[in-house]
Amino acid sequence: MREKSSKGMSRRQFLGLTGGVIGAAALASAGIRFNLVRNEREISPDKIELKDQETDILVIGGGMAGLFAAVKGHDAGAKVTMVVKGSLGTSGQTPFAKGIFTYDPLTAEMGLEEYLEKISASALNTNNRTFTRQMTVNSQARVDELKEWGFFDSPLCHKAFSKPVAERNISVVERVMITHLIKEECRIAGAAGFSIDDETIHIFNAKSVVLCTGAGGFKPNGFPICDLTHDGSAMAYRIGAKITGKEWNDGHGGSMDHPAACYDNWGDMFERTPGTNGMEIHHDLGVDANYTAYVKGNPVSMGPGMEPAEGGPYIPEGFGMNNDKGPRPTDSDSGPGGGPGGPPPGGKGPKGGGPGMSSSASGGASAGMAIHKSEGIVPINEKCESHIPGLYAAGDALGSYMAGAIYTQIGSSLAGSAVQGAIASEAAAEYCSGVTLPEIPPVKIKQIREEILSPLNRDAGYSPAWVTQTLQGIMIPNFILYIKKEGLLKAALSYVEELRDHHTPMLKASNLHELRLAHETANMIVNAEMKLKASLMRTESRCSHYRLDYPEMDEKNWEAWINISQGTDGKMVLEKQPFGTWPV
Amino acid sequence: MSIKSIYGCMGCGTCVRACPTDVIRQRKDGKAYIAYPADCQICHLCRMYCPVDAITITPEKSIPVVVSWG
Repeated sequence: MREKSSKGMSRRQFLGLTGGVIGAAALASAGIRFNLVRNEREISPDKIELKDQETDILVIGGGMAGLFAAVKGHDAGAKVTMVVKGSLGTSGQTPFAKGIFTYDPLTAEMGLEEYLEKISASALNTNNRTFTRQMTVNSQARVDELKEWGFFDSPLCHKAFSKPVAERNISVVERVMITHLIKEECRIAGAAGFSIDDETIHIFNAKSVVLCTGAGGFKPNGFPICDLTHDGSAMAYRIGAKITGKEWNDGHGGSMDHPAACYDNWGDMFERTPGTNGMEIHHDLGVDANYTAYVKGNPVSMGPGMEPAEGGPYIPEGFGMNNDKGPRPTDSDSGPGGGPGGPPPGGKGPKGGGPGMSSSASGGASAGMAIHKSEGIVPINEKCESHIPGLYAAGDALGSYMAGAIYTQIGSSLAGSAVQGAIASEAAAEYCSGVTLPEIPPVKIKQIREEILSPLNRDAGYSPAWVTQTLQGIMIPNFILYIKKEGLLKAALSYVEELRDHHTPMLKASNLHELRLAHETANMIVNAEMKLKASLMRTESRCSHYRLDYPEMDEKNWEAWINISQGTDGKMVLEKQPFGTWPV
Repeated sequence: MSIKSIYGCMGCGTCVRACPTDVIRQRKDGKAYIAYPADCQICHLCRMYCPVDAITITPEKSIPVVVSWG
């Protein structure tokens, strides 16, 4: 999308400015053939209006991280505006996370230092200990606040989330997809996006932005992340932020019965009220079951009677399926099939095993998502700050490695989102007190408007549904992201580069719903390129990254995370950052 | 079809806001209808949020055939 043409203009900009027909004609005259499906527009792009708003902190996202970012930023004295692609508490993975970790030093079964040592042992050093400690020591305070707001009283969290937000009169703008972060004079200046309901482009002029945009995947069947398309990572990457963790995977299994039904796959877990989890260290949700499914074929069982295929991912002694607690029962509430954020033991709802724990389980379900908090914006410090002044991230949008590159503590995902949302926004409020509101030049707004609307302006092109299906066909097979080898990663990358260069600039939309899908598709394509390049670079196997051609852990060369940024030539640059260090 | 039917809708719009993937929209009279079934992830949030139990969901899903190359 940001590939530069010889005239220094991205192809997308070029096509957006000139209109799709001319661009298409130029390509056709160059001998490139493609199919044209006319764009039957339901709205007129010319009638779309601009709406400007000013704020200190713009929180993007309305899940657990966004909730605490809004509340704590406000309480720290900043004017906060929240903008959500869906609605507060009903989008992203938060509605489906039923367990939240809490640490009470008085009753915990082990001391803090011993606990942190064990997390790092399970995570094979991939975790950032500062963030693991931060989540642990701050979890109880956040859980107490959630109790006060009524979070644990209902399986649906909109009401509980609305309480503190309404009490503080925090402005919430819902059903607006943010497509652009705006940077002026080397610092954040706001963000822009469009409403999916009315014909409005929203320009938010902000001193600081806290990205709480969650994780993402490739709109997989059977996993409730179809609204999560790594929008935060893609937007931040385009303005120069660094992105990490793209080689890791989330290994949730799917079900062969009704594979598209997220609700059914979790055995009614979505109906439960949330609960809390204590210390329980695992090495879960890596790709060991995916490896068995790859070698032996589906179905695989993750319960008793499963005979794992020989070889495969290394699981440190004392963790994972063969830990001292023995294999987990299929009706366990705390098994690896738990929902996003991990299910609580002793939840009030009916028992269910979750994906991968049923009698007809299959391999990877979350298709393109990484272990919680192992991918996202690179933090430069414990305040969740990015390389761009004023830009912060929290929760699954931040590559904090809080749990490591493997799922080490059930319920820590939700707790970490709450803790990081609060910390990021308190830091953002402090930053805001020392800066003036940056100016966004009209020419920048004009350019953003054209980029947002370009799929609507195109008379012919490719539908987001077709491009997404094509992308899924490239990225979801188990021999690409789960059981990796150089030849197939390179092959997939060639396809993705084609989608990046040829199809992204010709995505079309006939209405605002499709416009959202078009921008989501473009973001997924950026993410696919990152995932393949990081997977190629990491020539070892560790935690949730498994290379069939490099099956061993390489402690000599790979005690390091991979960060991705955009080079001056527009191409992706990958670099190592040693474990346990902050970026230079 | 994943959301099978909406029957007895009172037009409050709660399901529209509850849907993470923008499947449901309201008609001019306020009644909810299934606008974009291909994007339903069968998470049941619309059904669980509906105050009058108007929504019925099935676990099956079929995606419309997408025109080749486009």
